[in-house]
Amino acid sequence: MKSQRIPIALKIKQLVTIIIVGFIVIWFLAPLVLITISAFASPGDYYQIDKVIPTHFTLNQFKSLFFGLEAWKAILTSIKVAGITILLSFIMGLPAGYALSRYIFPGKNFLKLLCLATKMFPLMVLAVPLLIIFMKVGVSDTIWGTSLAHTAMVLPIIILIFSSILSGVSVDYEEAAMIFGLSRIHAFFRITLPLALPGLAASAIFAFMMSWNEVFVATILTLTNRTLPAHILKTAMASPDYLKFTAGFIMAVPAMVFIFFVRKHLVTMWGISLK
Amino acid sequence: MISFSRREKNWIPYLLFLPALIYLAGFIGYPLVKTLQLAFTSEEGKVGIENFITLTRDSTFWKALKNTLYLLIAIVPLQVILAFLLALFVNGRFKGYMTVLYIICIPLALSDVSAALMSYNIFTSHGFLNKLLMKFGFIDAPIYFFGLGLSSRAFWVIVLTELWRATPLVFIILLASLQVISKDYFEAADVFGFSSWQKFIHITLPLTMPSLQSALLIRTLFAFQIFAVVWLLSGRDIPILAGEVYYQQAELINFRLAATYGFIIALICILLSWVYLTFLKTKHLEV
Amino acid sequence: MLKRFIVVLIICMLLTSAAFAAEVLNFASTQMVPAAEQIFAKSVLIKGFSDESGIKVEFIPMEDPDMFTRVSAEVAAQKVTISLVGDLHGGLDLMNTKALFDDLSGISLPNRTFIKALEDYSVMAGKKVYVPWMQATYVMAVNKKAFQYLPADLKVEDVTGASEKWTYDALLNWSKNLNEAFKGPKLGFPMGPKGLWHRFLHGYIYPSFTGYQAASFDSEQAVKLWEYLKELRPYMHPSSSVWESMDEPLLKEEVLIAWDHTARVKNAVIEKPADFAIVPAPRGPQGRGYITVAVGLAIPVEAPQKDNAVKLIDYLTSPDIQVKMLENIGFFPTIKEAEGVIPEGPLKILATGVLAQSGSPDSVIAMIPSLGAKGGEFSAAYRDTFTKIVIEGADIGTTITTAGDKLRAIFKEVGVPLL
Repeated sequence: MKSQRIPIALKIKQLVTIIIVGFIVIWFLAPLVLITISAFASPGDYYQIDKVIPTHFTLNQFKSLFFGLEAWKAILTSIKVAGITILLSFIMGLPAGYALSRYIFPGKNFLKLLCLATKMFPLMVLAVPLLIIFMKVGVSDTIWGTSLAHTAMVLPIIILIFSSILSGVSVDYEEAAMIFGLSRIHAFFRITLPLALPGLAASAIFAFMMSWNEVFVATILTLTNRTLPAHILKTAMASPDYLKFTAGFIMAVPAMVFIFFVRKHLVTMWGISLK
Repeated sequence: MISFSRREKNWIPYLLFLPALIYLAGFIGYPLVKTLQLAFTSEEGKVGIENFITLTRDSTFWKALKNTLYLLIAIVPLQVILAFLLALFVNGRFKGYMTVLYIICIPLALSDVSAALMSYNIFTSHGFLNKLLMKFGFIDAPIYFFGLGLSSRAFWVIVLTELWRATPLVFIILLASLQVISKDYFEAADVFGFSSWQKFIHITLPLTMPSLQSALLIRTLFAFQIFAVVWLLSGRDIPILAGEVYYQQAELINFRLAATYGFIIALICILLSWVYLTFLKTKHLEV
Repeated sequence: MLKRFIVVLIICMLLTSAAFAAEVLNFASTQMVPAAEQIFAKSVLIKGFSDESGIKVEFIPMEDPDMFTRVSAEVAAQKVTISLVGDLHGGLDLMNTKALFDDLSGISLPNRTFIKALEDYSVMAGKKVYVPWMQATYVMAVNKKAFQYLPADLKVEDVTGASEKWTYDALLNWSKNLNEAFKGPKLGFPMGPKGLWHRFLHGYIYPSFTGYQAASFDSEQAVKLWEYLKELRPYMHPSSSVWESMDEPLLKEEVLIAWDHTARVKNAVIEKPADFAIVPAPRGPQGRGYITVAVGLAIPVEAPQKDNAVKLIDYLTSPDIQVKMLENIGFFPTIKEAEGVIPEGPLKILATGVLAQSGSPDSVIAMIPSLGAKGGEFSAAYRDTFTKIVIEGADIGTTITTAGDKLRAIFKEVGVPLL
């Protein structure tokens, strides 16, 4: 009796798992699949109310978005802004993260708390004064202005991520290297950094996405040098639906690619950074 | 670690942290002070609470505050429960759980603009939902989700969108904490003949509590920053605090009122953080 | 894998920033901002000019308030980057009062005659501030199906010919009929965040009911106006509050009657010329209020590329281009040479409607007031009043008194006479 019941119970468990997985996959993927369909659907099919799944596809929306509305420029701007943001936050974040992971010093917890506390202030609180300051200095509406603001958003989180990534690299290697006569700086660059590299690269991508997705500050700080989401929010909105869908799709593509690249670090990245 | 650092002068860590600290002081600290200053300066340049009086007399402010809180109440608890269930499920490590993890995490990297457009694609008058319902004869004419006097429908669309978009964030935090629970606890529980439910109540829940609380806090703070989803789906039909900052700043070019709204958001965030930290006694800050 | 990815990313970034230093003429415009118009401006207008002259031009679409802030900031900082400004008469007028523009009387634009009235508008206190570029207005677009449901005493000719019977009350009855026949409201307005709904309120219905845009904002007649809108409200399509351009809902047949800017209904007429008629706005007790939009081109003082800017003006006001603009984006010519070439085909429908409106004897013409950075607050005053009274059911009297005070304060602050 018993030997028969166990397989059935197992099968039921398997079935339940499959059903739940099915639900999860549909719930999380459906919007992505649907916007992909809409992005390529011809406007004619979209406006036909009895046509659920379009049958005619076109690249016209992409053409008008990329060239007519010059979204390619906005994409370049987005990449540049994100690049500068990564660069700046790495330059300042690495030493700071190192300090948190390798030293014990008075005020350490306060600094950690400070990094966390920056999350209490939504970026939109800072946007208005930043705009006024940038206007005075002359960097409003430049790639630099947006990058500087994005760095302020990314840096505290990057410091915390670095601190935990570097903590994950055992001190022993570094100490061993120092016993063999390497200075601390050399030990860091020769030993610790290469070991931490995969994690750091994933953090770069994390920073990239934060900057790529940020729309509020980018909209307020710029008029002409708009990043992609800001550009879309400002110009593609008073436009036909099919253009909006294409815009949404274009913005989603990098996200899917990025998540794929960092999929092994997902738990470390978000789990730690937001803990 | 202690012995390791004693060998060197103790100003080094401060030096290492200094650039970041200066930067944050300049780009977060200073603007915050400026916001404060702007919020407390009247149009004629007098210092006072005039802006706050203007604001509280405007019914839009109260609506924005109310809507923001309603969104918070509708989204956050659902999100945390959903995320917890998902995390427990994925932590079961069935075959192919990594793929499921990847799929759940895709919305993590999506911008809110993009997420809003995806839900617009589904819920608009010629969207998939309406077309599908009409195809199968459930309805004769499209159901409108966005528009005059339809803000309660739009509200639920926004809630759905936010659930879709931001649940993974909570999920990943909870999963991270589930993954570090030692198997020993469960093995011990097996010895004592605990049921699955008992294991959950006595082992899983207490051990994930700190993460649960911090997820709650993070989500609450982020809920005050919901902007693009609401703005794109309902315009100002559903005014919210963050949307008003944008509106005052970008459409009306009223820096003072924009800063006043910003200040109020910051104030509520600080207050809520304090409440959470005090009453939930979370220890998550000791990373 | 990851490492290479990052390296490629950084290289791309550096390469693109290096290639960004070419000398271009910045042409900032508050017109042609919506997607379709912007695509036309960039890929036809500007491209045509660059191909012809070899001058590189950057078309910068801007919102009204941004334009004023930006140009005045640039002139004040003596770092002018914008060489040509395209804006509404009102915006240019205001910027001119701050002495931000050159006198353009010296430039010669051969082979064209500007329409007299527009030419006169562009000269302010003896200074030629701008060159008239385009004109536009807002009209009603009607799906011909709707004509079957006209109220008993109203004929199609009354509507298309702007007769005395084509009133706001007639519109209300007509919308009621449509609502019954189609089991749902079929009248639509562009009330979305980027829609031009406020123009309807201050430039159409207000002058029609009170004779002025703002001067009698909280008068007895205004109370009637708001009562009227409350009555009309059930027949307005609920999605109005998300629409920003009415051509789409017209084409989808979500509405059968719509009001919008000529450029924003034009697509419907082009796509299905047989289905639509463009008709004048209805009249109210004080006449037929409507807005005439004059758009001009001006050159900021100390603009870096003045000569090229003049060449661009020359190009943009040439007869060919003027006709092209009408055909493609529904903005009307400012020169006589192009006025005669009103096209056959779909756009004739648009032109007929516009002419019927401007030719109506009971016209109360409104110009969009020049409030610069306060323009946003001006529009908001009308929109908010609508939301409060019509959507939320606030008391009419108190609401319009408060909003009226606010409006008067705005005009006083900017220093323009109340319209």
